[in-house]
Amino acid sequence: MDIDDILREVDPISNAVPAETRDLQALTRAWVAERSAPELLPWPADGLFERINDRIKNQIEKVEEMTGDMDPKTNFALIVIQTELERYRYLVRSYLRARIAKIDRHTLHYLSTDALRSRLSEVELAYATRHQALLHNHYLSSFLASFPAPLQNLNDASANINMIDSPDLDTAVFVRLLRDTMVESRGIDADGALEGKDGSILILRWSDAKPLVDKGDAELV
Amino acid sequence: MALPLPPGLTHAEVAFLCEMELVTVVPRQRLESIKLLSGTTTPLRPPHRADLPLWLALLLKKQRRANIVPPPWLHPASLRDLIHRETKIDPEKFSAPPPPPARADRSRPGQSRGLYSSAVADSTAFSPPFLHSCTAAAPSGYLPYHWLEMAETLLSHAADDMPAPAGEIRGLVRDLVEVRAAKMRAGIGQAGILGGEDGGFLDLTGVGAVELAENRGFVLGVVDGVRKIGASAEASRREEEEMGGAEEEDDEDMGI
Repeated sequence: MDIDDILREVDPISNAVPAETRDLQALTRAWVAERSAPELLPWPADGLFERINDRIKNQIEKVEEMTGDMDPKTNFALIVIQTELERYRYLVRSYLRARIAKIDRHTLHYLSTDALRSRLSEVELAYATRHQALLHNHYLSSFLASFPAPLQNLNDASANINMIDSPDLDTAVFVRLLRDTMVESRGIDADGALEGKDGSILILRWSDAKPLVDKGDAELV
Repeated sequence: MALPLPPGLTHAEVAFLCEMELVTVVPRQRLESIKLLSGTTTPLRPPHRADLPLWLALLLKKQRRANIVPPPWLHPASLRDLIHRETKIDPEKFSAPPPPPARADRSRPGQSRGLYSSAVADSTAFSPPFLHSCTAAAPSGYLPYHWLEMAETLLSHAADDMPAPAGEIRGLVRDLVEVRAAKMRAGIGQAGILGGEDGGFLDLTGVGAVELAENRGFVLGVVDGVRKIGASAEASRREEEEMGGAEEEDDEDMGI
């Protein structure tokens, strides 16, 4: 270890942000976005949740081990670890619940096309399919079966009116820009474009904000 | 099982986020570093300062194991300066958010670069509450995103660590809240009247998390309501533009 190594350790530029903090930032961002966006967002693809679940499992095991020795000094560390564990689990739970709420509201919509289905995780897809099947069976046995056959569909799109309820993608959302970028938006009387600065907060329609959020240029707040 | 809350963060959720902000503490007891899910905490060695997340700092404060160093922007002088700026210098807009944290660049003397520029490169841009904007090293005279929650929490749980009597700071914070709430309302009024004239977006740069949470329902309701009222006007405008574009091309053809 020479002087450069020591400098690197105290220098926050080369001392890169640890992966744990990165994942927490990603989880927090996903949670806030899911809580604010009018539609279901894609399930994080880079294995974020697998990593987080593994870490939570390891931490729980550690807590179980530590509860064994009741030394007052390690006891405080245990309290801290448990508090943090609960905070972390709250984030994960709230994120999943927000997703389930959206899936419940527009189940048929999210099951209708492959692009939309790919936004759901495997478990969520199983849940949505099964839930919809149960619901459909229930409808069939309670009233749908007594209708004439052409009227029994739940996803009729005739007469230009789609039976499947879908979220309103033009709902306004708050976004924060994460880097300088061009923002284009549609208004009632005119369309606008703006040279957006890093850190500015805008109200936009979700359909205009979505490309920015997908690219990582902006986040929902 | 599904979350029964409407879209948008509630106050409790905003406060939860705020508790992830790092604050600076002066420990009174030693505490070895603890391996947490969000990373390893810095070991506490009195009297060396350390940056910890707010929830942990509050826990230490309650057990009288540490004192919290209030962020520089919470100093009465900084708050007075901010009120002056919000009322006199720029009475229309919110004051600017703190600049991104930067450090001197060793390879280019005299220059600085963003603290997270390396992080941006691999596409993780950091945003509040991970910006170190409430530590003792944060700049004064700028309100970070979670300013109001942070001020409230510190005033109620660490009043004895404040640089001035808590009552004085509380008064200044209240003044600031009111000045900014008036701006928020004015901004929405503008959005309601102008509707689409500003091109479909509304700039609220510098707004705080609680202020957003408080006004979210109303603002989004107004914006969406105006949109629905103007939906047919917008559709016909778009149609006209398409037609107009086609006609112009025709004219050009005729000219040639």
